[in-house]
Amino acid sequence: MYDFHNGYLSPLQTLALNVAVLSIIVLSLIRSERSLRDQSQWGVLILLAIFGVSGRILMEPIPNVQPVTVLVILTGAYFGAPRALALAAIVALASNVIFMGHGPWTIFQAIGWGAIGICGALLSDKLVVNEKLRLNRLALMAAASGIAFNWFVSLSILLDTGFSMLVPYLLNGLVFDLYHAFGNILFVAWMATPLGEIMSRHRSSQSLEAVRDGVAN
Amino acid sequence: MSSTDSMSDWLKPASVVALLALLLLAPSIQDRLAEESTRYIEDNESSHHGLPAEWDEQQVLCIYFPSDSPHSEFNLGVTMIGPDGEEIGTNEDLNRTGACVGGFEGYSNGLDFMMNSTRMANGHLSVGYEVGQWGAFVHTIGGLNPETLTGDFNGAYWHLDHNGASSMVGIGDLVMSEGDVIEWSIGTW
Repeated sequence: MYDFHNGYLSPLQTLALNVAVLSIIVLSLIRSERSLRDQSQWGVLILLAIFGVSGRILMEPIPNVQPVTVLVILTGAYFGAPRALALAAIVALASNVIFMGHGPWTIFQAIGWGAIGICGALLSDKLVVNEKLRLNRLALMAAASGIAFNWFVSLSILLDTGFSMLVPYLLNGLVFDLYHAFGNILFVAWMATPLGEIMSRHRSSQSLEAVRDGVAN
Repeated sequence: MSSTDSMSDWLKPASVVALLALLLLAPSIQDRLAEESTRYIEDNESSHHGLPAEWDEQQVLCIYFPSDSPHSEFNLGVTMIGPDGEEIGTNEDLNRTGACVGGFEGYSNGLDFMMNSTRMANGHLSVGYEVGQWGAFVHTIGGLNPETLTGDFNGAYWHLDHNGASSMVGIGDLVMSEGDVIEWSIGTW
């Protein structure tokens, strides 16, 4: 019998297929969001988590190009640090357990993305001015966060090897850092504005307080 | 409002072009970086410990087998094989079993070196690998495919050490210098 699942796909075909699947997921998530009442933050957070996990898994053919970093910055900016931390940890754990590989690095990724979410919350009033996203600032922050995140996660090799390996390891990973930075700019350009509109619809006065509390603390 | 929109107008195509350019340039940038980073790896003399003194400053490849799945030929100590295939002797003090092939010079590509040096062991160390999306993946050495191993672990694989430390890149991307020691042993997770 024919084994239809065994056909060989080139990396480019895999990527095209995955982008198509991701588009279906994004479209259905946008439809689902419309059925949510305004200010239903946890509903949106669940949709964002699904988008983050599936985006990270499906964009795997291009290393480090995935929407999670931009998602946690936006979550921090709109919903505050605690919710961004929750999203960061859930996406890191779920995508690693399902597909990317779970190990000591998961905690580094969760902390790294969590810290980026906290930065998003701290810079909330710089990133969202008069309910409008400042795309240039967001793109700059997203690019810098991508590189900082990769370097932070690279520290996990110190659990296995000595400090002397760190410099060659980082040097070897420089292209992957650039992938993360460029990928983040791409996601800011294409999806930050619609995501920002969705998030501001669900941004309650409560979460505005949460953002301010996070900054004050 | 208009400033935000115009920003996104040029950011959208620019971000796509930038990422495509990076994808095209990445392999050549990666090659340069791999070369550059080998400078930081010390040519660790201690990685020649236990090897024949005549191999100092020369390139060596060692394969170590797990104690519960020893190699049928190399199951007592570590057998030393010269660059012409001649057995130099066996070191039984290394607390592991397997074989080293050494005394080579001038290799810079890890996979070339591995294929040519293992050929000196009369077929006892033949290497099976497949080239995937991210380079060569070694699945079998000397008849042992770690996937067949069972024990108190989730999985086993052929682990690559370069001058006594875990290699950061696969054998296909490994850039070698004179005096380098490449070691394969079973790793588990």
